[in-house]
Amino acid sequence: MGATTPARFTDPAMSTSFPFTLGGQTHTLTIRARRPALVVEVDGRCYTVREHPSAAPGESTLRIDDRLHEVTRTRESDRIHVKLDRTTWSVGYEDPVTAAQHDAGGDDVLRADMPGVVVSLNATPGATVASGDVLLVIESMKMQINVVAHRDGTVENVHVEVNQSFDKGTELVSLHPNT
Amino acid sequence: MLDSILVANRGEIACRVLRTARAMGLRTVAVYHHADRAAPHVGLADSAVELHAEVPTAAYLDVAQIIAAADHTGAASVHPGYGFLAENGDFAAAVEDAGLVFVGPQPEVIRLMGDKVHARAFAAEAGVPLAPSALMEGSFEAFLDAAAGIGLPLLIKAAAGGGGKGMSIVHDAAELEARARTAMSEAERYFADGRVYAERYVEQPRHIEVQVLGDGRGNVVHLFERECSVQRRFQKIVEEAPAATLPAELRARICDAAVKLAARANYRNAGTVEFILAPDGEFYFLEMNTRLQVEHPVTEMVCGIDLVEAQLRLAGGEGLPWTQDALSVTGHAIECRVCCEDPARDFLPATGRARVLRVPHGPGVRFDGGISEGQAVTAAFDSMIGKLVCRGDDRGQAIDRAVAALGDLTLLGVDHNIDYLARVIDHPAFRAGALHTGFVTEHADTLGVPVLDADARAAVVIAAALGVDDFRRLAYDIPEPYASIGAWRN
Amino acid sequence: MARIQSSIQTGSAEFRRHYSHNRALAAELHERQRQARFERPARDVERLARQGKMMPRERIEKLLDPGTPFLEFSTLAANMAYGGEAPGASCITGIGMIQGREVILCAHDASIKGGAWYPLSVKKIVRCLDIAIENRLPVVHLCDSAGGFLPLQSELFPDKHMAGRMFRNQSILSKMGVKQLALVFGHCTAGGAYIPALSDYSVIVRGTGAVFLGGPPLVKAATGEVVTADELGGCDLHTRVSGTCDYPAASEDEAIAIGREIVAQWDCPPKWDIQRDPIEAPYYDPDELYGIIPDDIKRSFEMREVIARLVDGSRFYEYQPAYGTTLVCGYANLWGYKVGILANNGVLFNDSALKGAHFIELCNQNDTPLVFLQNITGYMVGRDYEAAGISKDGAKMIMAQVGSHVPKFTVMCHGSFGAGNYGMCGRAYDGRLLFSWPNHQIGVMGGEQAAKTLTEVKLKQLERAGDAVDQATLDKVYNETLEAYQHQLSAYYSTSEVWDDGILDPLDTRNALGIGISAALNAPPLERGYGVFRF
Repeated sequence: MGATTPARFTDPAMSTSFPFTLGGQTHTLTIRARRPALVVEVDGRCYTVREHPSAAPGESTLRIDDRLHEVTRTRESDRIHVKLDRTTWSVGYEDPVTAAQHDAGGDDVLRADMPGVVVSLNATPGATVASGDVLLVIESMKMQINVVAHRDGTVENVHVEVNQSFDKGTELVSLHPNT
Repeated sequence: MLDSILVANRGEIACRVLRTARAMGLRTVAVYHHADRAAPHVGLADSAVELHAEVPTAAYLDVAQIIAAADHTGAASVHPGYGFLAENGDFAAAVEDAGLVFVGPQPEVIRLMGDKVHARAFAAEAGVPLAPSALMEGSFEAFLDAAAGIGLPLLIKAAAGGGGKGMSIVHDAAELEARARTAMSEAERYFADGRVYAERYVEQPRHIEVQVLGDGRGNVVHLFERECSVQRRFQKIVEEAPAATLPAELRARICDAAVKLAARANYRNAGTVEFILAPDGEFYFLEMNTRLQVEHPVTEMVCGIDLVEAQLRLAGGEGLPWTQDALSVTGHAIECRVCCEDPARDFLPATGRARVLRVPHGPGVRFDGGISEGQAVTAAFDSMIGKLVCRGDDRGQAIDRAVAALGDLTLLGVDHNIDYLARVIDHPAFRAGALHTGFVTEHADTLGVPVLDADARAAVVIAAALGVDDFRRLAYDIPEPYASIGAWRN
Repeated sequence: MARIQSSIQTGSAEFRRHYSHNRALAAELHERQRQARFERPARDVERLARQGKMMPRERIEKLLDPGTPFLEFSTLAANMAYGGEAPGASCITGIGMIQGREVILCAHDASIKGGAWYPLSVKKIVRCLDIAIENRLPVVHLCDSAGGFLPLQSELFPDKHMAGRMFRNQSILSKMGVKQLALVFGHCTAGGAYIPALSDYSVIVRGTGAVFLGGPPLVKAATGEVVTADELGGCDLHTRVSGTCDYPAASEDEAIAIGREIVAQWDCPPKWDIQRDPIEAPYYDPDELYGIIPDDIKRSFEMREVIARLVDGSRFYEYQPAYGTTLVCGYANLWGYKVGILANNGVLFNDSALKGAHFIELCNQNDTPLVFLQNITGYMVGRDYEAAGISKDGAKMIMAQVGSHVPKFTVMCHGSFGAGNYGMCGRAYDGRLLFSWPNHQIGVMGGEQAAKTLTEVKLKQLERAGDAVDQATLDKVYNETLEAYQHQLSAYYSTSEVWDDGILDPLDTRNALGIGISAALNAPPLERGYGVFRF
């Protein structure tokens, strides 16, 4: 079955891969084959994986190559808590879009979605902010709106002043790209 | 006999006390703060009363509300558990003034033993050995001179402190004054009492304590000793009964000293006398805890008795349940304190949710837990969420069972020390009984999270990946013939 | 179903001779494909790197599900055109899998002339969109093109199936309810701007992606306005102001991740459920195909031996085994799917044409896809055969084949000459996919036959004119004709002109057909009904 048809051009570095963090290090996992059994590559080594669910939810027996493991696991947004045999681990996982945004640095400039007036400013250049922090308050269409930081970082520049009116698309606050 | 009881506590000790009380047929009342509304102790009682406070721990320290709750529910007695108000003489007095039975010692005995300086003086009078010490009786300078005279290293402790809080070790004479001043201001801040005293610090001491039970009329029995040498920052991690190794004669002297002390105070109900055992075989009084201790289950399992039942009977007016001759130790028991903390970050308390909690079972295995599966673990309360206690016919079997039970204990969703505990008790030095209070520091290198080889790491990552839906779909839901053809290019 | 009994002598001199010949042809194919796919002038590779762009194949590999196949079409399109300066016709098309969904990928190759569209690029792209329409396959466009190659504009712009057809096809796909995603990695200029605009979803990379009907030079020439590509039609303009693109991405990796996320949202409409059994590998070694195919275009071979190395378990249920023996017909499983196979074991006679027509009807009755394995020099000629109605019988076979509502697939295994091509589902007959083998030749007639015929014609001409018959002139006609034919008969010429969907190593045929059949089942059966059979 396709055994005599050589697989060509499968550069492992290019295929869709999943990054997981364990103990502060990132380990990349890629699927290499699915038949006759799932073969997964982790950090350059391939393993054959077979899973047998058990009666209790979240529990299963995992056979990796010729080793059997008892697994209990539960997922919580960006963490998977795994008990493998007798030891517990916390493995980090980031969905691909978020991971790619982190690599790219994301959008560092906050712009106005609509015209308005600056009511108050909380951010100052050099200030450290956390995702969700209110950077400034604007008023538009008779409503006051909090403009919040979309990620942790350091404020690079505040482009507007209190009582200044602005158009849609005006840059309000920018964060340092590398913070 | 008591007919009803209010348990003024939470977590595992509230559950533990409530279980025995119910088994004895008492009507039970639990108290809880809103943050604990999903906690298991609430559902274990016949009725529960909500306590109100902005800070959750403050609710369990609110004397007036607790007594009002007892009054309102008609509970005849109050069990304080440990921590919170358990060693608060004013609370005990208030309970008794309200016409309720306080399941514990007399308020004045609580106050006596709660003041470490007075307690030491009392112990000296009772002929209990004490470590060389210096008290602050006159000027600060006189105290420093006396302290310097003890010899180094020495320990500066808060007179009103306890439970390992407010202590510091001084190795260098040059730092004595500065340390003393810091200790005094800390004592003032934490215990509202800036008095400190200094004591000879025994290097590599073992912590040996004796469980005692008194009838309040001068009759006291001991239920032998426990060893609690494995500690971190003065907090106990692993305890056992009997002590890992102790010559019979030394055991007898230590237990007798404890009984002497308790009898002299006409001690009522349960208490523990704690000692430091030096490598040279000398032992010194440390303090007396006038309450049921966290580690009481190990005594229960080797003596074959229920201490809470004994407490309730004594509180109900009965005499001591046993004579000293009737008590003996069979086998060995080990307790591990299961805490939500991160061993990789210096055991900082961890928060999260106990999404999966599976408790071990088996011969000689006992788990006293304080949380339910699904419950949130917050910074509001202490990080200990349960105790795993295992009994064996000998120490080796007890350790084996405990290691196995720790492996079977599953807690997912919050960092914990379960794997760390297994490494501690499975360590050759622990198995050999080479214990002292610096055990975890001495063996820190070998107790750390084991380094995984590449295959072991891969196994963890693969196990985790199969918990991610996106990955599972890509692994299992690729249709044929694509799945069988695989990574082919023409 | 019984297994085919192979009688190939793998040790014979003939087998070994064929084997080394075809192995060499396969090796040549792979090498030419490798060059067309990967060899680029250093300055073009550096330019892409400077712009922060990935190579197009890197984008594809990151987009596709790991451990899944990619069936690429027409890798060697334009290999014999434009002086060889547009390998693959500067685009990459094929069928792949994204988040478990079968999709058509259409990627511009900016490492070749900035991804400009040559006439054959347009033909290749229109072809992949036709495949998407016929098979109801969602399309992912990877946009990065400088637009039409202006020096050849008359060959790529004005006619019905030229550039405009790309956007017509996109609109038809949309009307059919088939989804399209555009990932804008580079420029979408002029007509190219319609690619994301006509797609249901689009992602654009900040800094390098741009969409505009007229680029900066054209705008300056038209109105004098001076504006950068980013200001004119960059990421922020189109994701915040104009709404032409849906998602901004700060990097190509992010765009690909968003693209995969979008595809994951698409529902999977049910596929046409035809007969299926568990998958089984061929019993005989497909490698032996190299030894079965002759090294001479005029020599025939036993098609049952080829079938035995393509189908599940090498099992084949032959239809009318004793009748019309120059056309082998029968049922087999291919990657589990039941298929009807028609394969040439010689010239088509009256009886083989009738048998073929009847078998095609049986397959349509049974909802069984058809696979045509061609090695045909034509229908039998001669007075007896005409008297017996061979023209009618050939016509009946064409009528049955064209009236099929089941998907059809064609593999040019050796020769495809003259009218035999038609009945056996040549390019004009709407097979879902058509592939060639490296040894394949296609033409109205074979090279030697044509050279002989034209030399005869020249001889007759000279004789009628009363001129002297100059052997040198005759030889010149013969040699020039032969050379021209050989140039145009070869599979490489055919694939260059996009007369097929690619040349396959014979060993890759099974996988290609398996993917093709699976993809085809995304479309419901066509309308049933045949025209008039002249009986």
